[in-house]
Amino acid sequence: MINVDHITKTFGKTEVLKGISTTIERGEVVAIIGPSGSGKSTFLRCLNLLETPTSGTITIDNIAITNPKTDIQRVRQRIGMVFQHFHLFPHMTVIDNITFAPRKVKGMQEAKARANALSLLDRVGLADKADSYPSRLSGGQKQRVAIARSLAMEPDIMLFDEPTSALDPEMVKEVLSVIQSLAHTGMTMVIVTHEMKFAREAADTIYFMDDGRLVEKAAPEPFFNSPQSERAIRFLNQVL
Amino acid sequence: MRKLATRTVLAAVISAFVIIFAASGLLPSLAYASAQQENAKPSAAGGTLVMGTSADFPPFESVDAKNGGQYIGMDIDIAKYITEQLGYKLEIVNMDFNGLIAALQTERVDFVMSGMSATDERRESVDFSDIYYSARNSIISAKKNPYTSIEQLKGKRVGVQLGSTQDYFAETIEGAVLKKLNKIPDLVQELNTGRVDALIVEDAVAIENVNANPELTLEFLEAEKDENGYAIAFPKGSTLVSDFNSVIAQMIESGQMDTLIEQWFPVQKETDETSSGLNLDFSILKEYIPYILSGIYVTLLFTVVSALFGFIWGTVLSFFKLSRIKPLQWFATVYTSVFRGTPLLLQLLLIYYAAPQLLNYDISPLMAAGLAFGLNSAAYLSETIRGGIMAVDKGQMEAAKALGIPYQTMMIKIILPQAMRSILPALVNECVALLKESSLVSVIGVQDLMRRATVVQSIEFRAFEALIFAGAIYYVLVLILTSLARLLERRMRRSD
Repeated sequence: MINVDHITKTFGKTEVLKGISTTIERGEVVAIIGPSGSGKSTFLRCLNLLETPTSGTITIDNIAITNPKTDIQRVRQRIGMVFQHFHLFPHMTVIDNITFAPRKVKGMQEAKARANALSLLDRVGLADKADSYPSRLSGGQKQRVAIARSLAMEPDIMLFDEPTSALDPEMVKEVLSVIQSLAHTGMTMVIVTHEMKFAREAADTIYFMDDGRLVEKAAPEPFFNSPQSERAIRFLNQVL
Repeated sequence: MRKLATRTVLAAVISAFVIIFAASGLLPSLAYASAQQENAKPSAAGGTLVMGTSADFPPFESVDAKNGGQYIGMDIDIAKYITEQLGYKLEIVNMDFNGLIAALQTERVDFVMSGMSATDERRESVDFSDIYYSARNSIISAKKNPYTSIEQLKGKRVGVQLGSTQDYFAETIEGAVLKKLNKIPDLVQELNTGRVDALIVEDAVAIENVNANPELTLEFLEAEKDENGYAIAFPKGSTLVSDFNSVIAQMIESGQMDTLIEQWFPVQKETDETSSGLNLDFSILKEYIPYILSGIYVTLLFTVVSALFGFIWGTVLSFFKLSRIKPLQWFATVYTSVFRGTPLLLQLLLIYYAAPQLLNYDISPLMAAGLAFGLNSAAYLSETIRGGIMAVDKGQMEAAKALGIPYQTMMIKIILPQAMRSILPALVNECVALLKESSLVSVIGVQDLMRRATVVQSIEFRAFEALIFAGAIYYVLVLILTSLARLLERRMRRSD
């Protein structure tokens, strides 16, 4: 369970997050939508402390991760993250990208890490690319490898930061279907996305953010059919 | 005769060293070490005496490069005789003449015999034995334009060896324009090319040079009392002086000294062949080739050691610069600025001569050189590596963090390898520079390629052949290095 209590984030003089509080249950799939610059990504990055909140607290399974004494590396091992621009390690093959963290961080045996990685690659449909370098892959393939890399650490929570925004349109689907299949496994997931159809189908809860605030929080059907706030109505009119 | 290593230079050098380390915040520990050093006694007795000499001065001392690189010469024979009489074993250390006085002051050597005149200036820094040999000054000039007296040299261009007694003598020639160089072969070359009109050098050297250069002629001057007398130099207060003096006195009395001296002075050959132009004769190198080639090992070893050390330390420094810890940042910045802001040669001399005094550790020349070059190279590399690291996509670091990878593993396994690809050409440049700059180490007597070439140069009294040969070897080494780098680069580009 992720508990977020009144977090704010300020870059210089700009207040990007203006006090956000929410609770995400175990196994819940949250899709965060909203206009550009509304603070969606910053909020997501606060959840694994890639950004440190200026104030407020975040608690994950009763561990206060915003407490400076908390061993953040241990916490991060339980939280996978997938980035808009993949960030695969370009000097390693696909299989090495996936096995690196399990071996170096968890001390997993090479053979076991490799077997795990191959089954993950199979799951994302890229078993034949194990020994390729990332530069040989398409965007959609890279993102699927990135997902496999995160899953290799066997996280409890997965964060997706606009995972399809950098992809050519024909590759969006292959990535979304992988994420959607994950949603069915009971993994806690937080997804920042511009894909409304995907959000509607995959998420348990929609967070609508605007101007650093969590404006609306609802199940997909009520949200898309009858949004409450004026800003959500305006936003949906623009994107749908 | 010959050069005068001045105490003031050493003093300046040592104070610069202190400033550097004070700036690095290391002064307290060094001050402690040097306080301990003052209490330490020189270790003269105990069987072996270490003699310092600059073995590029035949017939007094030279390297027998044709036969296994032994030290030979008149001084060597006298030293062997004296130490044998006194019951010591003799160990000979070859170094630059300029460094001999410093070596005595730092007690790296127990005594120095190197055709060294007992001048008043030197007496301020070291103690001398009685004089064992007196030399005459002589004028070398071209046969087609000969000079036979000091009178004729008034207002002329005269070449002398820097810091030699002839240097001081030539200062008294009215209106003469002096050209002062470090090495006699270079002076002979200046005379051959007509850049100077005559040289003033010491008799023994003059004979050998004129023999090797048939177009030159020689005129001896009157010996000036004991002005040019050679003596053995000791550290101030050395107890060895009186022992040595008694053996010298006995040698002179028994006529042994004269016998020894005569063995080493060849009679002037009468030759009438003349030649002009560059006059290269590479056949003279034939017997020296193994000797010169074995310098490659030293040069390569040195390059590898200093490049490796420089790279590792440079990487650490670049991490310091990128760290959030202010004192580390500050240290790395000051370090870089000091090591980039002072000459490499100065750093080398400092480390070699000052380390024994400050740290109470007798550092070997090769180690001192590796250290100096590594420390210096690290200053440059730290900037290169820092740039390379900063050029790596920020997302790489975020992805690694998100996977829970510890900072150190991330830097070494993920960030550095990517940085390395972009800075590889700069690293190769640095290695090439190190390989060539390694020739500087000959100053402190490391027997590298360059040193061996100059040894051959001084034995054969020929300026170019050995140098050109060494130059060709350096060039080939650099070619090999760059092609290896190209292979490595191709390997690293595999992932593209």
